[in-house]
Amino acid sequence: MTRRLILLACSLCLLAGMAMAIPCDGDGDGTLTSSELAAAILDSLDARQMGGAVEAPSPGDLRDAAFIYEHWDGRALTITDTSGQTTTLTRPIRRIALFNSDSLEMLRSIGIEPDRIVGVSKYVLEDPIFYPEYQGKANLGSVWSPDYEQAAGIRPDAVFLYASISQSSCDEIEDTLSAIDPDIRFFRFDSFRPTVYADEVRTLGLLLGKREGADRFLAFYGDAIGSVAGVVDTIPVNDRIPVYLENWNDYKSAGKGSGYDEKIELAGGMNIFGDNPVEYPVIDPEAVISKNPGVIVKIVGAGETTFGGYGDDDISSFERVHRAISDRPVWNQMKAIRDGRVHIIHTDVIGGPEYFIGTAYFAKWFYPDRFPDLDPRAVHRQYLEEFQRLDYDLDEHGTFVYPA
Amino acid sequence: MTPRRSVTLCILIVLLAAPVTAANIERFVTSSGDGLDVTLVVTGIPVGGIVETLPDGCVWKETDHPADRTRLSGGKAAFAVIGEETIRYRVQGPQEAAGVFTGTWEDLLTGESGTVGAAGTHGPESSKTPVEAPGFLSVAVLAALAVAYRRRCGR
Repeated sequence: MTRRLILLACSLCLLAGMAMAIPCDGDGDGTLTSSELAAAILDSLDARQMGGAVEAPSPGDLRDAAFIYEHWDGRALTITDTSGQTTTLTRPIRRIALFNSDSLEMLRSIGIEPDRIVGVSKYVLEDPIFYPEYQGKANLGSVWSPDYEQAAGIRPDAVFLYASISQSSCDEIEDTLSAIDPDIRFFRFDSFRPTVYADEVRTLGLLLGKREGADRFLAFYGDAIGSVAGVVDTIPVNDRIPVYLENWNDYKSAGKGSGYDEKIELAGGMNIFGDNPVEYPVIDPEAVISKNPGVIVKIVGAGETTFGGYGDDDISSFERVHRAISDRPVWNQMKAIRDGRVHIIHTDVIGGPEYFIGTAYFAKWFYPDRFPDLDPRAVHRQYLEEFQRLDYDLDEHGTFVYPA
Repeated sequence: MTPRRSVTLCILIVLLAAPVTAANIERFVTSSGDGLDVTLVVTGIPVGGIVETLPDGCVWKETDHPADRTRLSGGKAAFAVIGEETIRYRVQGPQEAAGVFTGTWEDLLTGESGTVGAAGTHGPESSKTPVEAPGFLSVAVLAALAVAYRRRCGR
């Protein structure tokens, strides 16, 4: 019995070792050299096309080896995601399941091939205008209501989850799917947080063999962010305009450390609730009045304001929300209302991976005199054409900001 | 225009007009003494493999491709492509064999495969060896120029 257990343990170790080995690494030293790869290619061609009797790698192993040589310098790749979780890979990721739909937009920015995505969240499937090429993919439900049967059934190599939102739900998904298939790898990205956004793009590029695409996108992104930051940096802290931001829920604002707080700061604003320790605090309307913001920004596109964005060409709902804010009791005493500096923005361009477009709008609204030539719409258009590869006419379709 | 110049022009047009991102391999065969010089121009295949079938009557002589990336067997030559953009080899054989070379390629990163000389904007005649073709060196220089041009164009 003891011998059988030892044998079983040895077999398991051997299998684990095989799973961790880099394919076609002839000497097993953990580095696939050009000589080893060349030998594997020639063995494969010899066996398949030249009648040779050599022992050749499988086509799958050979393709994986080619990927690892080209994209990971012939070595295992160790990745640390935004949640701090570290994963070592000895095989490329070819089948991705996404519960984090924002990550899909980032993947598209770096040029991912759609056939590498085997399952998506229900939100992707509910948005055929923005995600036309992903319609028909397996529906994984959502982070809060996952379809485990579907997720396991599509046999993903990797599952993408959120890093800092819905952590308990994401933990549960990881635990459940790991129990079904221990070989699935899990990666967590936020895709909306300015402090980690560029790092996430870089990590995804490395992970998926899209470094060139990531570099191209980051150059564009850097220009967009840089054109705002360069001016904002010259504005003394004491001269920064106080901003009240409200999300789609009335009187729900953004506190310290929230993504919106970061975005206001990036655009040179001073978040009037930036010292609130609650990430998304519900605030007293009188507290807003007492802080007397110079600009008010209202985000729409979710909750009771589910309108606008890519699939809606009618701006009238934005006008209604704009009017309602100005009509709030006593709010007409505030500088922002008196000066007509209330702005409505859709979550599509400020809440997720497109936040740098929204940040450009913020900068223009906060400091119109300092950004006379900044054109957020042009940035938006270039992003859609070059990086999302969407056939979408911004001049004809969509509602994202009001007043325009 | 002399036949020699027209061939040169033809090669330049083929090389420069080829899409820079699509995987493709072109073959140029020129006569040289008692043999034939073959230049394979590889486009958009960072890691892949090529199998060339030598025409009957042709005998392998040499290649500039590294020895550990080349294998010969039964009238076929296999090349492992790892970053190379041109591969040159030489065979001994009759000039008439110039148009009878065949070959296949595989792109191991994308899984695509194809026939050497079959892609691009030119017809099948263009890959056949003209009788009065430029020498091996001229083709190699042209190929190198074309590759350099494409690199400068943002590949």
